[in-house]
Amino acid sequence: MNKGLGFDKLREILLEKDWEERDQLAQKLEDLDDQINSRNRLEEKIQPILADERVNLKNKFPELFGPQITESISKQIRESQDEVVEVLYPIIGRMIKKYITNEMEKLSERIDHQMELAFSWEGWKIRIKAWISGTPQKDMIISKLIEPKIEEIYVIERNSGMLLGSFSKSAALDRDMVAGMLTAIKAFVEDAFTGETQELSNIDYDNFKITIKNFKSFFVAVVTSGGMNAQFRDKLDDTLLDFAQKVLKRAKHGAESDAQNEIAEGLAKYFENFDKDE
Amino acid sequence: MNKKVILVGHFGVGKTSLVQQFVHSKFSEAYLTTIGVKIDKKEVDVDGLKVNLLIWDIAGETAQSKVPKSYQLGAHGVLYVFDLSRPSTYNNLHEQLDYIKELLPGVPIEVLANKKDLLTEEETKQILSGLSLEIRTTSAKTGEYVEEAFLRLTKAMMA
Repeated sequence: MNKGLGFDKLREILLEKDWEERDQLAQKLEDLDDQINSRNRLEEKIQPILADERVNLKNKFPELFGPQITESISKQIRESQDEVVEVLYPIIGRMIKKYITNEMEKLSERIDHQMELAFSWEGWKIRIKAWISGTPQKDMIISKLIEPKIEEIYVIERNSGMLLGSFSKSAALDRDMVAGMLTAIKAFVEDAFTGETQELSNIDYDNFKITIKNFKSFFVAVVTSGGMNAQFRDKLDDTLLDFAQKVLKRAKHGAESDAQNEIAEGLAKYFENFDKDE
Repeated sequence: MNKKVILVGHFGVGKTSLVQQFVHSKFSEAYLTTIGVKIDKKEVDVDGLKVNLLIWDIAGETAQSKVPKSYQLGAHGVLYVFDLSRPSTYNNLHEQLDYIKELLPGVPIEVLANKKDLLTEEETKQILSGLSLEIRTTSAKTGEYVEEAFLRLTKAMMA
């Protein structure tokens, strides 16, 4: 009896720590089991990790999947052109239709305006002009609809590309830099494609045209919109020559700042109402 | 008051980086590779006088004579840039400067030895002493002497 009691005591002394650890382990296992099998508690633990991953994937999505998506779309478009056309046709068609309708409305408004003018003094002037020049009246009305207009003028020193003066109806980019780039483009074209005696005189882009008039020590770049016609060109040439003779020659002899002011004033005087003059 | 400054020198010596460091503008970046010139503008103050610098950053060529004359003509000042780490960019320096002086007589020229950050003081000194010219060292990377170079040239242009 005493022996058995002694043995139990000894076992208790020797294994007491192990039992404690066993109990703790069992408790931990129970907690883990609870966490894994309880949706709410599992969500609590995993949610922040998933959220981080979501943000990470969102940020790196273009980098990780961009090339594959692009390649896949390109392949899809190549392989199913008919289907793509079928899908895009109504959208593009609607866009074109909307654009044409819009442009037709504008044209219609302008024709209405011209028709209103037909019985006015303006209309009579067109009739008399058409009669004198032998141009059909409808051609004159149409040319009125797409009348050329001066948008900007730059007077630029030929060698340096420095802006001597400018005139614009709207706020443009930095004019000094535009003058420099125009000079560079002009020099590039003349060096690359023409001989020393030939000079760039026109740049066309969409509805705009840059007409360049070259003089000895400077050139004038006139940006116009609308349809350029011979009459407008003649008038522009004459005005520019007159401007060059009267203003620029006089300005050349003054101080730099005085000359720039004189050119700016001259440009305003000559071209402010250029489009309205008859 | 507007003044035209041209930046010339071999390809890859850091001209564009110098301008970027000075102007922080990217107005006509695309044109540099298209037509060989990029124009930027910066206003500087010289002894109370406001001066607009129109900086023509001209695409690099091994010989200055290959650069379209029209880009260089009418310049009020020149920044000639070479790369301290590439001898081929300064071996013909005197010849290049003579060409510019002939094309633009009386126009002040500032010679800049760029990429100073790539060499030791000793190496830089050795190269510069061999060139026997008044040369300023710059680093477009650190910005060292960039602003000063433009201001020094502007003062020389105004003198």
